[in-house]
Amino acid sequence: MATVVIMPRQGNSVESCIVAKWHKQVGDSVKEGDLLFTYETDKATFDEEATINGTLLVTFFEEGDDVPVLENMCVIGESGEDISSFASQKEDDISKKTIVQESEVKEQVVETTSETKADTTKISPRAKNKANKANVDISYATPSGPKGRIIERDIDILIKEGIKVTPAASETYEQGSSYEATGIGGRISTIDLERGPISELTDNKGDVISEYEEVKTTNIRKMIAKAMHNSLATMAQLTLNTSFDATAILEYRKMIKANGEALGLSNITINDLVVYAVSRTLASHRTLNAHNMEDYMKLFNTVHMGVAIDTDRGLMVPTIFNCDLKSLDNISIETKALAAKCKEGTISPDLLTGGTFTVTNLGALGIESFTPVVNPPQTAILGICGLETKVKVVNEDIKAYQSMGLSLTIDHRAVDGAPGAKFLKDLCANLENFAVLLAK
Amino acid sequence: MSVDLLVIGGGPAGYLAAERAGHAGLKVLLIEKENIGGVCLNEGCIPSKALLYSAKIFDYAKTGKKYGVTFDLASIDQATVIKRKKKVVKTLVAGVKVVLKRNKVEIINGKALITGRNSEGFVVNCNDNEYIAKRLIIATGSIPVMPPIKGLHDGYDKGFVLTNREILNLIEIPEKLVVVGGGVIGLEMASYYNSVGSEVTIIEMLDHIAGQTDKEISTILQKNYEKKGIKFNLSSKVVIIGNDSVSFEFNGEIFEVPATKVLVSIGRKPNTNDLGLESINVETNKQGAILTDKYMRTNIAEVYAPGDVNGKSMLAHTAYREAEVCINNILGKRDIMRYNAIPSVIYTNPEVASVGETEESAKEKGLDVTIANITMKFSGRYVAENEGGNGICKVIKDNKYNKIIGVSLIGNYASEVIYGASLMIETEMQVDDIKELVFPHPTVGEVIREALFAL
Repeated sequence: MATVVIMPRQGNSVESCIVAKWHKQVGDSVKEGDLLFTYETDKATFDEEATINGTLLVTFFEEGDDVPVLENMCVIGESGEDISSFASQKEDDISKKTIVQESEVKEQVVETTSETKADTTKISPRAKNKANKANVDISYATPSGPKGRIIERDIDILIKEGIKVTPAASETYEQGSSYEATGIGGRISTIDLERGPISELTDNKGDVISEYEEVKTTNIRKMIAKAMHNSLATMAQLTLNTSFDATAILEYRKMIKANGEALGLSNITINDLVVYAVSRTLASHRTLNAHNMEDYMKLFNTVHMGVAIDTDRGLMVPTIFNCDLKSLDNISIETKALAAKCKEGTISPDLLTGGTFTVTNLGALGIESFTPVVNPPQTAILGICGLETKVKVVNEDIKAYQSMGLSLTIDHRAVDGAPGAKFLKDLCANLENFAVLLAK
Repeated sequence: MSVDLLVIGGGPAGYLAAERAGHAGLKVLLIEKENIGGVCLNEGCIPSKALLYSAKIFDYAKTGKKYGVTFDLASIDQATVIKRKKKVVKTLVAGVKVVLKRNKVEIINGKALITGRNSEGFVVNCNDNEYIAKRLIIATGSIPVMPPIKGLHDGYDKGFVLTNREILNLIEIPEKLVVVGGGVIGLEMASYYNSVGSEVTIIEMLDHIAGQTDKEISTILQKNYEKKGIKFNLSSKVVIIGNDSVSFEFNGEIFEVPATKVLVSIGRKPNTNDLGLESINVETNKQGAILTDKYMRTNIAEVYAPGDVNGKSMLAHTAYREAEVCINNILGKRDIMRYNAIPSVIYTNPEVASVGETEESAKEKGLDVTIANITMKFSGRYVAENEGGNGICKVIKDNKYNKIIGVSLIGNYASEVIYGASLMIETEMQVDDIKELVFPHPTVGEVIREALFAL
């Protein structure tokens, strides 16, 4: 019996996901556990696997489409089964999509080869339909789909921007090559083709090498870009830099490291110690553990700590909920688990929201101070910097010690400099007297 | 006074640049030392067309018999022709002034001298006033080349030797006109004075007339004019201009032709002397042409040089386009000057028009081409209106890209037809697509369509 596969809901805040890749094409046979498609939320990428055996009969969306959650994505069943009842809610999409089966796929190939220009052009049926309607020549479209396939958005760009190559140049013009356009209306002319592509350089062997590589901006990157820009564009951010004597926390860490296994503790890091101290210090600095709603402030009674994690896909900030109520060991274990999920790309979107304060750490990379960017509507973010050897005078002796930098960015609209400085002062005191803090 | 743009020279390049810049909202000052409209409007393209039209009507009257119309008393009144020419020029100059005014361009009559630059911009002196401009357009055009021929300068001072300027104002038709230089200007004036009764001799250094024009077409034109009575001395070099004669050397021998007037039209050169270009280090070549790039910029930032002054094409319509390229780039819109589809026309009777490559230039470049060469008689209208017409039309196709790269034709209305060919070349239309165009019937332009199918 034919079975429909829907776009899963990943967390309560996610309303739609973008189809990143189809791993199976219509007509492919599918076994339980096979990858069907990959999809992206704002922050994470997920894979959807087949749960039954059969043939992929129809797909309702293309790569790059933004699909509402719970929408029908595809149907798996036996060849020839009636699948009309699974039509996606979006009627117009369905009318454009014919339900193609293996034999029909072959027919379609024959049909396209009979057109002179289309024989080397790979184009999705939906894009082709649109191109035909708009009467644009698909040979001018720049394919952005997989394996050089023209997809709908390429036709949209073509309709919007028009042809950028003169007719005579179009036959020889190679997609993707970059020529200086000196022809009429900024088109690439045959004269430009004769001059050759401008972006191509040759290496020592005389082979053509590209001057640069174009890497598509991922959705995560776009989201980060939007969030960062929004943050700096809307807030009045002020960064305060300070440092503290890290002797106490380094001693403590050494102690845990030596005895942790025996005590059943996890490998607690310096970062965990700072997160712990921050979660405890925030209790008496409530404007920093807050959301600035402009007309009012939400002062939180507990600390939901955002912890910035660097991943291959970009920056992610999972949340340790009720951080101030958790033990150091729990904080450490939870941070590691969240980081692992972020790196795998399997983090639930619900864990990427809800923070009331954020800690970000560039210390391991030797950064001495920086200006972290506040994650709105939070009012502050603490940057942890690297360890430096400093000297201080103790009882008229000069003493070397390990110092650690802290960079606190606050939203000056919500918090003034002095309260921010007081928080740092308290935090430093807590970190310098870590044993006392643990006892509190 | 400080302006956004100062334009030196009010010819086609200068006035159009000023007009476009003013329209875009720039504060523009235009300095012209003589007449707005420049050579084109006052002593070139336009007045010569006024004269040639009178000649054409006179030609019709003289040849009307072939068409069943007889004019027994047809005569030409040179004074009236010149008077009408002046009216035409006045109308058009006034029109240009109105457009400039409408676009808020300030015009100053005087000679501009660039004196340097300061922190505000370029400093230009005119009529003892100092003007500061953020940008400069140098559009001072060109002047006739006056070769160091013995007797030429004396003759010019005496009014025996003429340039394009003086010959357009002759009240008396010269009995014997010797034209030195068989290029566009020489041929058009030879054509006029031949029609109105002068005995015309053309002396040309090259072995053909009409410069870069297709050889076969320039030969047809020469034959047409030989039939009408013009004498051609090709491969000949003028050596002496006497009091009432011109001596030239041909094949090592000296020949003398009697002359009432002598027109010197061997070419034009960029007008860049005494402008103060050196004060801001604008680079020129040996011929005095200002060097420009494809954006019409000179070597100095914010200094542009459209029109004859850059020596690239020396045609008014090229100047228009170059001026637009300047202004677009000044306004931040990337625009590139292209020279491969600029048409050129000789307003003789019959007219000659061409654009792009000729058979000779295509072969010289080693291009893989197919050439259609057909008689103008493929056009019904041409046959109906040209008794004994022997015009041809040549269309050159680039085989590599299946596009048209050159069209040349000789026959009346060629001047009005040629822009269609320019369009095909400029837009790089595919020959198969052009064949789908519908031409009005019957027109002379249809001959291009016929030629396409003959390819």
